[in-house]
Amino acid sequence: MRADRVRDPWPVWPDGFTAGERERRAALVLSALAGLRPTTLIRAAAEAPTASACVGLVARGALGTDEDRRFVRLLRAERIQATIDRCGARTIVWDDPEYPPQLRQIHDPPFLLYVRGGRLPEASHAVAIVGARRCTDLARELARAMGRGLAAAGVTVVSGAARGVDAASHEGALDAGGPTVAVLGGGIDATYPASSRGLFGRIRERGALVSEYPPGVPARAFRFPARNRIVAGLCRAAVVVEGEKESGSLITGSHALEFGREVFAVPAALNNPLSFAPLKLIRDGATMIRGAEDLLEELGLEPGSGGRRAELTLAELAALRALTGPTLPEHVARELRIGLADALTLLMELEMRGFVRTVGGRFEATLAATMATTG
Amino acid sequence: MYGRVNGVAVVGVRGHLVAVEAHIGRGLPSLTLTGLPGARVQDARDRIRPAVESSGLEWPLRRVVVNLSPGNLRKEGAGLDLPVAMGVLVASTQVPATRVSGYAFAGELSLRGTLVGTPGVLSVAMAAARAGLRGVVVPADNAAEAELVGGLHVVPAPSLREVVGFFRDAWTPPEPRTTAPDRDTPGHGVDFSEIRGQAQARRALEIAAAGGHNVLLVGSPGAGKTMLARRLPTILPAMSREEALEVTQLHSVAGLLDGGGLLRERPFRSPHHSISLAALLGGGSALLRPGEVSLADQGVLFLDELTEFRRDAVEGLRQPLEDGRVVVSRMAGTVEFPARFTLVAAANPCPCGFLGDPRRRCDCRDDRLQTYRQKLSGPLLDRIDIQLVVPRLSKQELLDEAPGEPSAPIRGRVEAAREIQRRRYADTGYPCNAQLPGPLARRVARVSRPAWDLLAQAVDGMALTGRGFDRALKVARTIADLDGASEVERDHVSEALVYRMNMVDADLARAG
Repeated sequence: MRADRVRDPWPVWPDGFTAGERERRAALVLSALAGLRPTTLIRAAAEAPTASACVGLVARGALGTDEDRRFVRLLRAERIQATIDRCGARTIVWDDPEYPPQLRQIHDPPFLLYVRGGRLPEASHAVAIVGARRCTDLARELARAMGRGLAAAGVTVVSGAARGVDAASHEGALDAGGPTVAVLGGGIDATYPASSRGLFGRIRERGALVSEYPPGVPARAFRFPARNRIVAGLCRAAVVVEGEKESGSLITGSHALEFGREVFAVPAALNNPLSFAPLKLIRDGATMIRGAEDLLEELGLEPGSGGRRAELTLAELAALRALTGPTLPEHVARELRIGLADALTLLMELEMRGFVRTVGGRFEATLAATMATTG
Repeated sequence: MYGRVNGVAVVGVRGHLVAVEAHIGRGLPSLTLTGLPGARVQDARDRIRPAVESSGLEWPLRRVVVNLSPGNLRKEGAGLDLPVAMGVLVASTQVPATRVSGYAFAGELSLRGTLVGTPGVLSVAMAAARAGLRGVVVPADNAAEAELVGGLHVVPAPSLREVVGFFRDAWTPPEPRTTAPDRDTPGHGVDFSEIRGQAQARRALEIAAAGGHNVLLVGSPGAGKTMLARRLPTILPAMSREEALEVTQLHSVAGLLDGGGLLRERPFRSPHHSISLAALLGGGSALLRPGEVSLADQGVLFLDELTEFRRDAVEGLRQPLEDGRVVVSRMAGTVEFPARFTLVAAANPCPCGFLGDPRRRCDCRDDRLQTYRQKLSGPLLDRIDIQLVVPRLSKQELLDEAPGEPSAPIRGRVEAAREIQRRRYADTGYPCNAQLPGPLARRVARVSRPAWDLLAQAVDGMALTGRGFDRALKVARTIADLDGASEVERDHVSEALVYRMNMVDADLARAG
């Protein structure tokens, strides 16, 4: 659905705010100030309509924190430029023709983007997939499948490169050979989380890493919500897989609704705290989807090669049917009227083929199993 | 004037016969001990005279020298009180020397002359039997353990007065109770039938008992890990007399026998994670005492909260796990204790304990999880064949379950499987599947073609390591033995793969 709650146009950067080399360099300095929130800055820009004028305000103590005032004197645009060059990044400013037009429509748009990698996608060919870091296995599988499906259909997957759902959707897109864009919550040279370093490299090769922070800014949780507006802003649609009550996923989804993007959410059980974000978004007008196929259908895209039908014996089918949520092996044994050892054997065979996984001593069916038994 | 009697010094678990010589000569009244007496034997010096005098006997008011020979062996323990006193009494001709030489003496004396129960009396009796002595004189409290040694005349004496009376033919010891109070029916006080639900864990413990495998239980607090571990001894095969004697001897030396006879139930020891290295592996400054690993000999050593144990303690377990014994070296000497136990380790899945629990959220930070996981997957895990996650059951899941099978029939199946292994490994010297070295296991396991294929598949699909492969193979062999199958079939391997490390690991990895 397209949210029709678009309010009065929100303030954007005045034209020429970053025009010319002098202003671009001033923008580099501004981007390095931690205490300056985009909202404050954009209001100040109405009075001081260039980046260098805003730097002047900060230096005089009329804008930003005391910390910023002290810090701005020490900042040298050349040095920032050197670190940018060192990590192979480039910058895109508000007045550049390359600035993604879809970002001009969001509130508090970034006046400067750091980019490592290739071109940023057009809005019509970008879809965001976001979700919880500590997610369920099901969510990870779903995100991967959707990433794969979108990439196969020629769509760029945009996400936040965090663990869990984010990483899975990037990986799905890369699996299918498609480009993918990661918006970072830290400096453009960031390597957080450490476990995703390899992933960053591959994203950079085949897509792009994007950030509004210069190299050296650590990834901190307070920067993640700001990052989410860019994730939502870059795309025509956003998919929320799992997220808790106060999660980045919910923020991204809400941003997307606000910006008039299409929003999709995958529902999950009511008693799961991770269901809060998707269910709330569905209630607020997001479209409910059940997986990659629904998503592609909603977006009017051709699904790539579909899921494979698997050969399953009757006993295996029965075992999978007995797995309603995380299930104890003795329950499966009882349902199938077989011994526990036989049930464990059966479940193990299914696990080796990717249809079953273990969660805390219980067994549950995977997405692959659901597709194989119903598809 | 000279007298000589037999005493026994206990070093580790072994008793060594010691000649206690007493000489009474001219000089100021004194008692000197020579022949490398340990601190506790020196300590006896001042209580022997009062004990003798309280018993209506006379202490020679001259210079008394008592020598313990051989002189190169450090003598420890309070058991030498009685032989020292008897040596002096023989030397002062208050006890006839003739019959005394056929007996060994052991026991601590009180100031009133009563004989106090003493650790290590079983080892004393065994040493006496080895030396071909006729009998032993021991405190009445220790009679039952001394009587375990066949062909030995046990004189259970309540005090020094009776000991002297016995050699003066003035006191007759009570007849030994015809049946020594063997704690005959293993009285564990717990039983498998008390476990509700947890079918997979029950099955895993049965396999562990049948193959002698060590077990790691990972589960949330309240999942029942301790409850499960405590019941493992009840399904282990009954101990042979030799095994039972070994266990009894170790408990005797540690002073944990409480006056009973042969220990028939397999021990269950669960030391707290704050335990010192010496208390876990054995040692002490002067008297080398068996540690928890030896007190768990032939039974179960349960380490709850494995990750909380000191690192050196956990690493110290590798020697006993590999060799079935532990060597303790101290200034006082080097001692070897048997320590062949089944290890059951328990751990929470994550620092908060609720990772993977469907009803409670884990809120551990990622870096802490990572650290925890590294701590858990230490080198000890290579020695643990069976690793499983124990789910915390919901009320409904508990109500669904009928009471479980009692221990006795399970033990029956375990014993049958052990018998098969005993016959198969008769000429290799290994008692059970778990003890088998990897290469040998691969050679003798008799694995069917499809079973090999599945194992090979697991190596690729589940990233099974070489050691993981051997562990899965050995567990599969045990499952086949429980099945009475001569060949390891595909199904046996499938089930064995359920108890592999990656399962625990995968659960943790997913979170990390």
